[in-house]
Amino acid sequence: MDAVQGRPGTHLGEIENPDGMGEHGSIACGDSMRFTFKVKRHPNDPTQDVITEAKYLTFGCTSAIASSEALCDIIERGSYTPITALKVSNSDIVQYLEGLPEQKIHCSVMGAEALEAAVFNWAQRRGVDLKKLGIDIHDQETEEGRIVCKCFSITEPYIKRKIRELNLRTIPQITNAIKAGGGCTSCHHVPGGLQDLLDQVWGGQTTVTPGGSPIPLTPVEVRESSEFSPYQFAKKVEKVIDEYIRPSLKMDGGDVEVMDIKGTLVYCTLKGHCAGCVGASQTLKMMIERVLKDQVDERIRVIEV
Amino acid sequence: MKTIYLDNNATTRVAPEVFEAMTPYLTQDYFNPSSMYEPARQTGHALAAARKSIADCLGYADPKEILFTGCATESNNTAIMGAAHGNPNRRHIITTAVEHPAVLEVCRELERNGYKVTYLSVDRNGNLNVHEFIQALSPNTLLVSIMHANNETGVIFPIDQLSRITKQTDASILFHTDATQTVGKLPIDLVLGLPYVDLLSFSGHKLHAPKGIGVLFIRRGTRCRPYMLGGHQEDGRRAGTENVPYIIGIAKALSMAMEHREQDEARIQKLRDRLENTLVEKIASVQVNGKGAARLPNTLNISFHYIEGEGMLFQLSDYGICASSGSACTSGSLEPSHVLRAMKVPFTAIHGSVRFSLSRYNADEDIDTVLEVFPQIVANLRKLSPYWDNERNAPRPDALNLVQPARQE
Repeated sequence: MDAVQGRPGTHLGEIENPDGMGEHGSIACGDSMRFTFKVKRHPNDPTQDVITEAKYLTFGCTSAIASSEALCDIIERGSYTPITALKVSNSDIVQYLEGLPEQKIHCSVMGAEALEAAVFNWAQRRGVDLKKLGIDIHDQETEEGRIVCKCFSITEPYIKRKIRELNLRTIPQITNAIKAGGGCTSCHHVPGGLQDLLDQVWGGQTTVTPGGSPIPLTPVEVRESSEFSPYQFAKKVEKVIDEYIRPSLKMDGGDVEVMDIKGTLVYCTLKGHCAGCVGASQTLKMMIERVLKDQVDERIRVIEV
Repeated sequence: MKTIYLDNNATTRVAPEVFEAMTPYLTQDYFNPSSMYEPARQTGHALAAARKSIADCLGYADPKEILFTGCATESNNTAIMGAAHGNPNRRHIITTAVEHPAVLEVCRELERNGYKVTYLSVDRNGNLNVHEFIQALSPNTLLVSIMHANNETGVIFPIDQLSRITKQTDASILFHTDATQTVGKLPIDLVLGLPYVDLLSFSGHKLHAPKGIGVLFIRRGTRCRPYMLGGHQEDGRRAGTENVPYIIGIAKALSMAMEHREQDEARIQKLRDRLENTLVEKIASVQVNGKGAARLPNTLNISFHYIEGEGMLFQLSDYGICASSGSACTSGSLEPSHVLRAMKVPFTAIHGSVRFSLSRYNADEDIDTVLEVFPQIVANLRKLSPYWDNERNAPRPDALNLVQPARQE
């Protein structure tokens, strides 16, 4: 607020003849920042330069201004070299500000990006080869466009390009690859959201399980065993239950009844002492499933009704 | 004359505490929670707190999973239409023959658009057949929508079991439940108790909040498209300025209901049971619909053979007693209750059905009054009935063959 009202004691402004200058954002997005810093030059080794002063000019909301102010303060207090300053991330800015609303997180991202750009600029001026130092400042990757993931400020053209390049088929895959959709998750199924982008790129050819792996469109289509007809399959299941499972259950006063078989899904109910006992029924289900897998078909799943 | 309100499955009185919690948000803190100035931000904080309170009451769910709507009907429409639009590769829906019209009519509309809908039948007690349900599940099924408890009979469906079977069969099928009659009455834990439920609807006016506010729980990651499009409210999942005072109201009402739920429900059940047992004892040719099923503790749906429900309601009304016959929602259509027909209740009994539904604001005296006047009301109507022999106080012999199960359409 001090900066907005032009009070002294802030880092508002622009350094003349800076040692490093970086810009991020654009007026089209509604946020942009020019970040400049001055260093105390080390006589022999430019990598030992220490940042002494940092200033910013910011166009944007109060969160963006606050993030800029926070960035400059962190940098000045820490007596960073331009290279160590790269370690300052957007989460440091958020922490400095004691939190930002979810939809304002991208403001802190802007600060970190501007800092990176400024360091890159400094390296060029001082003849420091960052790549040689093992520092890879990634190029400006995000294309301009409609922002889909508001938490991380990721645009539609960028997401679409990554979906194609990385062959992303599901929302969890997108999130893992480029973070989009990993925050509030509200962009997943809204119009123009991640699912729509997937459908646009792949022509609606994906479905998603909660686990995130693509599944065929007919998951429980009668997956007939190669050896048995459905009738024989059912008979075989009954026979195995009769021979291997029922006798031991009956000894304990229980029983199992097959209600239905769909494909390789076996629905059964537990009777007598077995019914109503949660722990026992879980164990029994596993036991029955194991026996049926061994004796009939590895793909069998038992569902307790 | 004192009003004895026994129609709480239709709507409820707004609790005075709820009204009190709401009023500041109508006249003082009326700000749009999306606005930037300080008072609006305060309103926004109150909205967030209400959302969290509701999530907490539902088993400490994530507040992000709570969506505010205009009513349970909108919640149901959003859930079903949203699921259909979110899963365009599948075209089959499973529901029951006894759902509320807010589900049935949406399913019929989808049928007209080429979807296939399975309407599960119920037995004479109102229970579903689990085997029939399993047979209905298909690779084309996108959604199962089954109510938690029936509004007319109070019969409770085993949502935990049905949702588990659904998800274990095929995790891509969404499970929706209309819990309008059970939220605040039964314990609902969406994290531990009902982890397989993706969508759950309810409204405020069944639990002593005002009409005009509903909730839709959408589990994180559920493929459900928004139904109401427009502004960014509710994270873009339901556009429209948040109804802050009513949201405050429903949050307050739900936390009150949960706080005293066990004592209240035990007391209400005692009242209901006394009403039920005494009526069955005192009046001939009576049947309690849903008697053989698990039922809500507050609901009694009881049929008096050979007389018509409307006549009973008007006479009850003369004593200040409010009840309903069949579902108030369907009575406008002059069709007998689709729920009782699905339960194969004979027509002679469907037309003579009365639903009493209690709340925590009912007392012993209310039940006393009903029990005092009701036998005479039935007797009055049976005097008029062509099927009743008043001398023997029994149906005429020739009327007995009318007692045939209602045909299902």
